[in-house]
Amino acid sequence: MAGLMAALVLTGTLYSALSPAHATEEAIQSESSAEAAGRELYERSCITCHGENLEGVPTRGPSLIGAGEAAVYFQVHTGRMPLVRQEAQAPDKPAIFNDEEIDQLMAYIQANGGGPTLPSGDLRDGDLAEGGELFRLNCAQCHNFVGEGGALSSGKRAPSLEDANDLEIYSAMLSGPENMPIFGDNQLTPEEKRSIINYIQTVKEQADPGGAGIGRIGPVAEGVVIWVVGVAALLFGIFWMGSKA
Amino acid sequence: MSAPHTTPGSTGGSETPGPLHGGPDEEYTPERLATMTREELDLLGARYDGVQVLHVDPAPEPGSRVEKAAVRQVAMTFALAGLSAFAAFVVYAGSGWFLPDWQWDITEGGWSALFTPLIGGLGGLALTLVGVGMVLFTKKLLPHETAVQDKHDGSHFDRVTTGASLMGGLNTYGLARRKLITRSLVFMGGGVGLMLLMPLGGLIRNPNVGNPLGTTSWTEGMRLLRGDGSPIRPGDQQPGSLETVFPAVPGGNLESDAATMLIRLRPEQVSLERPREGQDDFGYGDYVAYSKICTHAGCPVSLYEQETSRILCPCHQSQFDVTQGAKPVFGPATRPLPQLPITVDDEGFFVARSDYIEAVGPTYWNRERI
Amino acid sequence: MARTATAPGVPTTPLGKAALEIDDRLIVAGPLRRTLNKVFPDHWSFLLGEIALYSFVILLLSGTYLTFYYDAAMTEVVYEGTYAPMRGLEMTAAYESTLKLSFDVRGGLFIRQLHHWAALLFVAAIVVHLLRIFFTGAFRRPRETNWLIGVALLVLSFAMGFTGYSLPDDLLSGTGLRIVSAIILSIPVVGTWVHWAVFDGDYVGEEILGRMYIVHVLIVPAILLGLIAVHLLMLVKQKHTQFPGPGRTEHNVVGNRLFPAFAVKAGGLFFIVFGVCAALGGLVQINPVWLWGPYNPAQVSAASQPDWYVMFLDGSTRLFPAWDINLPGNYTIPALFWPTVVLPGIIFTLLAAYPVIERKLTRDEASHHLLQRPRDVPVRTSLGMMALAFYIVLMFSGGNDVIAEKFDISLNAMTWAGRIGLVIVPPIVYLLTYRICLGLQKHDREVLEHGLETGVIRRLPHGEFIEVHQPLGPVDEHGHGQLAYGGAPVPKRMNQVGGARRAIRGFFSPIEEPARVELEQRRDEHGLSAAESRELTTSGRPSDGGRPQEPRD
Repeated sequence: MAGLMAALVLTGTLYSALSPAHATEEAIQSESSAEAAGRELYERSCITCHGENLEGVPTRGPSLIGAGEAAVYFQVHTGRMPLVRQEAQAPDKPAIFNDEEIDQLMAYIQANGGGPTLPSGDLRDGDLAEGGELFRLNCAQCHNFVGEGGALSSGKRAPSLEDANDLEIYSAMLSGPENMPIFGDNQLTPEEKRSIINYIQTVKEQADPGGAGIGRIGPVAEGVVIWVVGVAALLFGIFWMGSKA
Repeated sequence: MSAPHTTPGSTGGSETPGPLHGGPDEEYTPERLATMTREELDLLGARYDGVQVLHVDPAPEPGSRVEKAAVRQVAMTFALAGLSAFAAFVVYAGSGWFLPDWQWDITEGGWSALFTPLIGGLGGLALTLVGVGMVLFTKKLLPHETAVQDKHDGSHFDRVTTGASLMGGLNTYGLARRKLITRSLVFMGGGVGLMLLMPLGGLIRNPNVGNPLGTTSWTEGMRLLRGDGSPIRPGDQQPGSLETVFPAVPGGNLESDAATMLIRLRPEQVSLERPREGQDDFGYGDYVAYSKICTHAGCPVSLYEQETSRILCPCHQSQFDVTQGAKPVFGPATRPLPQLPITVDDEGFFVARSDYIEAVGPTYWNRERI
Repeated sequence: MARTATAPGVPTTPLGKAALEIDDRLIVAGPLRRTLNKVFPDHWSFLLGEIALYSFVILLLSGTYLTFYYDAAMTEVVYEGTYAPMRGLEMTAAYESTLKLSFDVRGGLFIRQLHHWAALLFVAAIVVHLLRIFFTGAFRRPRETNWLIGVALLVLSFAMGFTGYSLPDDLLSGTGLRIVSAIILSIPVVGTWVHWAVFDGDYVGEEILGRMYIVHVLIVPAILLGLIAVHLLMLVKQKHTQFPGPGRTEHNVVGNRLFPAFAVKAGGLFFIVFGVCAALGGLVQINPVWLWGPYNPAQVSAASQPDWYVMFLDGSTRLFPAWDINLPGNYTIPALFWPTVVLPGIIFTLLAAYPVIERKLTRDEASHHLLQRPRDVPVRTSLGMMALAFYIVLMFSGGNDVIAEKFDISLNAMTWAGRIGLVIVPPIVYLLTYRICLGLQKHDREVLEHGLETGVIRRLPHGEFIEVHQPLGPVDEHGHGQLAYGGAPVPKRMNQVGGARRAIRGFFSPIEEPARVELEQRRDEHGLSAAESRELTTSGRPSDGGRPQEPRD
């Protein structure tokens, strides 16, 4: 994994070093320092698959024009990007870049490609019950009732929301990463998005009143428990009862 | 008690038992039984029930260390059960009194999340220990006897005599001879049987009045509404998005067959799009609308993978391709999701051009005929 | 009775007097003595059915409590209860009453969970009990009728389970109900008519919850109670089967009398079953309907499954190919019909008819009260394992999306693995089981012929090493045992034939004197002599392998 990563990074660096100058002098001069730092990071780690002008590389990576900082935040903060290898779906993993670097990347992509921007303020400032209703209508079909995640076709999956923070959920709705549909602000208003986040995070954090939650995935786990715990305990019991003292 | 039937009103039955009264009472007179020990009587009764006690592993000797240890063990188990049961009761009754409130509060995990596990865990422990104590008691402190009980086959005598009684009795009815009665009985049986089943007729209703399975609330010019009742403009959705929409009728968002997916395709999908025959103009621009109700078993399909253009049903994993007229490409579904013809009204909101042109939801016997 | 109450037999104690008063009126002494003296076989597997019976008792008790709060109405109400994430939402009164029961009734959630766990256990215990009956041949004549009743009980318990978990009207159960609606519609010719009768019109209507409620709390429980009563009465009438062994014949039952020992043990088992259900009910959360949300036909969740016992039907539905049959006249037999109506129909018909099928194939018309060891009937055992493998593939397919998600396998690959597995796994299991049965049979006979392996290696004068075998009985001139296989377990280790003294009792420190145990064991070696008169040394059954037999008796 680490080796592959190194190879990718190296390829990116070589590529950027050997490629001809790709932006005009004026553009570079008008960049803020954050954007410049972001450009450097981009040219080191992203350019192989997304191209020198964010236009994407066929069969490797999509165009980032219009992706905006929301997509960058989601993809990089959840560790999905930079990609280690091409597979059915980018797996989440510990983030490669720190928060400052992510900010720089976001600034660069936003300045050059445009697209949805990140929200500010309290992302849980919404109605809990309404958020639940919207979650069940728009999200639960893939992410399960309580965000445990679920399987999609051919090895793809809707990830568990167990470790997702508010901003990741928000930016995922805005940018529609990979197979997830996009929920633009005219479809789910910012208030509605905040309601949904409030619901997910509240339910995730609330204790289970009825004892161990066994994954909160319903009948499959319950079936396992009744056989492995219930029936097994009772079989042991009657075996003990039947044995001679 | 021992007085014969001499009280007024008595019919005065015989004071001595008849000749058929017998059994062990004849052989074992009260006097004889009185001389037998309790153990002998037990075995005598058992033998009379076809049971013989073959072998007894005696209980531990009274006063022995084995007995004392076993008694201690059993008593300890019952005492623990009692303790656990009292503790469960204290949790149950004390919560909200001298213990924190049991009522579930979203903002705190604390006691309310422990209440049910505590009463269940303690109660379950108490009950299990009661059972364990009882089993320990039998295993360790009771003699273990091996008894054998005889099985009896049916008796030929019983069969023949019962048969004779039955057939004799039936013969006196004379129904084989009295044909008129038999026939009237058959006729009556049919009539009365039908009459008794008659009330169930209220359950039978004709499903083919109108076309309830083949139609929904969608009509020409009806707006597509979100779950919260707001209408939708073509600019509201991003390419690669899906919105569940409902017909603009009261309770439309709870109707079981009207839920529709309004999908805005990405440009790459539009270039691949191959609508079903005759349905080329059902979409509007890069928007298409398909029924959300699976054609297999009626679950709401809506696991939309916008990159692969697939819609997956979470119940049985049928997969539909939205660029191919929502044709099924995997799993048990046989038919494409019906497409709702849509357009935009004067005010720029999405409306349906008509109802679905075919029945939505699962297939049924005469679906193709209506 | 009045006649016997003369001087010598007159009871003197208050208890005796009270007993006489009762018996003088009801004449119960005779039947009561017969009941107390009934002999129960002393083998753990005979308690499996009791687990099912006791879970049913627990279900009746807890279910009655639940009816005090549950409301089967489908009217829409606005929730204003304790559970904050639902406050202000529209839902049916049924769902609201379930939330109220869970959050606003002291201990209500515990009873609800206890009820649900007991239900899962009820069906599981029935299945395990059924497997024991099947693999030991306890269904053979004269017990075919009781087998039929048992299968009916199993089917009814499914009906109980389905109607029960549909009652809360949450998003998960509503999805299940929707599928049942589709299944009913898929029945050829009469499907829509049946649907209109059951749902009082199109899905979902306003009647279905109320109807399922009365089916769940009155109609099916009443039938279950009646059938359980008949099941037990027939058991008492026909008496228990038993495994072959010393002194056990086709005409007796060896074991414990109901009273005093067995009754206490059985009572203990009731409390243990109750305790396990209660502990699960408190410690493990089941069907958290507040997380699922109220039912809405437009909503669904990933990983929507039925309870475990219906999961095999969900699996068959997932695996069955997309094969609608179009008939002339534009009639259609939907693909859904085959895996959800025809398949369970075939499965349960085969199950119910199995005793008759086996009787026809083996031409064994005799009455049997002695059980068979599964290894001695390899064909039946292999058939059973094959059916079980078929069932398990279907059950796993019913949760294939969860398996795919948890173990990172492609969902489409899981579906294909299920389809292929359904065809090739059962035959493989049949062959494997058959070989294992034969191997076990062979080993039994080898031990009988050559004796037990003692682990003692001896070197013969000419240098050959041999292992010393301990014969189990008298041997002929070649050193071969002369014992015939009697259908009972054959000892396989020296300890099982008294090769070692039993362990001294006492957990932390010994509570017995080793010398006394030694003496006791020596005495025990002659201990059975008192009962020898009842042919304790011979088995009740000649060796009859597992092959179809000629009728005996």
